[in-house]
Amino acid sequence: MGKLDGKVAAITGGTRSIGRGMADAFLAEGAVVVVNGRSDEKGRRCLDEMGAGDNAVFCKGDASVQADVEGMVDFAVEHYGQLDICCLNSGGVENTAPVAMMTDEEWRLEMDWNLNQVFWGMRRALQHMMPRETGRIIVTSSVEGKLGKPGIPGYTAAKHAVNGLVKSAAHEVGTMGITVNAILPGLTETDTLREKGPGSAEAMGLESYDALVELFTQGSAIKRPNRVSEVAAVAVLLASAAGRNITGALFPVDGGTMPY
Amino acid sequence: MGQLEGRVACVTGGTRGVGRAAAEAFVREGARVVVNGRDADKGARAVDEMGGGDNVHFIAGDMSRREDCDALVQGTVDHFGRIDILHANAGGAVSPGPVAAMSDDAMADTLAWNFWHTFWTMRAALGHMIPQESGRILATSSVEGKRGTPGLANYVAAKHAINGLVQTAAAEVGTLGITVNAVCPGAMETDAMTNDAPAAAEAMGMTYEDLKAMFSEASAIKRLTEVEDVAEVLVLLASDAGAGITGSLISIDGGTSPY
Repeated sequence: MGKLDGKVAAITGGTRSIGRGMADAFLAEGAVVVVNGRSDEKGRRCLDEMGAGDNAVFCKGDASVQADVEGMVDFAVEHYGQLDICCLNSGGVENTAPVAMMTDEEWRLEMDWNLNQVFWGMRRALQHMMPRETGRIIVTSSVEGKLGKPGIPGYTAAKHAVNGLVKSAAHEVGTMGITVNAILPGLTETDTLREKGPGSAEAMGLESYDALVELFTQGSAIKRPNRVSEVAAVAVLLASAAGRNITGALFPVDGGTMPY
Repeated sequence: MGQLEGRVACVTGGTRGVGRAAAEAFVREGARVVVNGRDADKGARAVDEMGGGDNVHFIAGDMSRREDCDALVQGTVDHFGRIDILHANAGGAVSPGPVAAMSDDAMADTLAWNFWHTFWTMRAALGHMIPQESGRILATSSVEGKRGTPGLANYVAAKHAINGLVQTAAAEVGTLGITVNAVCPGAMETDAMTNDAPAAAEAMGMTYEDLKAMFSEASAIKRLTEVEDVAEVLVLLASDAGAGITGSLISIDGGTSPY
């Protein structure tokens, strides 16, 4: 008997990293899942690896594009008949730069990908959840939703904005059986980080991937990156019946990095 | 297979309210648990009701006294051989009222029961957890650890202080496999609430029902929090999956707290 038996979840950026960890954890607790991603090939591989048969389906789409985000919500409802858990998890940067050098193009991309995605997906999901008077919205924010780091102003601004959006929406739907929360992970050692980390380290003038990890974890108490499984466990709690009275919360999974 | 198999937990104020719900959840997940309370009769009854057999043990003690706090942690180690999880949960408001009318005793007793008890039990537990390089310290704070509420100055100050203590200790032992976190529940209709809140309400010129309505009105869910909600978060923090969460002040308050 799983904690999420009979529930339908949809996850943007669900084929890899934190989103994939959520998908795996939700499946293990009895939910069926829609995973979104940009690449057909990664989607196929993800479904193969999960081996969940009809309990998982891939929905191709770009999380920085409104029609694709709304399309994922609609797809989940059409395919599985309802949507109970909407994880707006995708996010990142493409060619980030300090404010003085930030291009309009990059800024717009980061706002669409990190902030507008959450608004588009949340709005569509709420329109479906409110008549049913049940639902869970889970947003992957970041420690950068409470702190600032040089060189990632767009990401930081978007994550701060997402936290405010979560709190407002939580109050709007609080009496309707719907909770809206953000998880704020610290640096998390995902497959994507292991793949792209060495390149990012080089771009930042650091000598190695380990130096990058150290830079991003020295502000924590545990002095190590967080694990995908740690973030996924919080997502399961928020999505389950036990999470019914937690809403508008900014749930840190950051090894003691944030001041509040 | 429970999430806390083989662990030993100690829960202060564990016979009722949040502590009792936590103790039951820990036992369900495979832990052996010491529950503390002031009253031996209530303790015996709680152990009976929990039905955990030898996995539940009661130790009497007044958590506003240092000797009792130290003895409880030592008693846990003596009885079950170790301590993996400390849940510093006891507390409440002693003679709440507005600041202008608050006695020294009301402030000092409330600080002892909430804040000093958390410090004393945490210090004693860390003495065992640091050498074993593993442990979980959980403090029951409150939404009042993140905001102020008129008429509750002693309780609000104590819970804010607990949050600062938790964040500091977390940073001190973060690389030693020990996490230190606080849960910040919204108002819950526990025995402590039904005992203490009517006086607080009266001091604020309102009825108990008005007071409960005031608390739920400030939330998004427009109802009070329940102890079981808090217990599930405590299990997560105490489990292996909680290893990466420390120094956190987790709100379980239906959207009440400002941050």
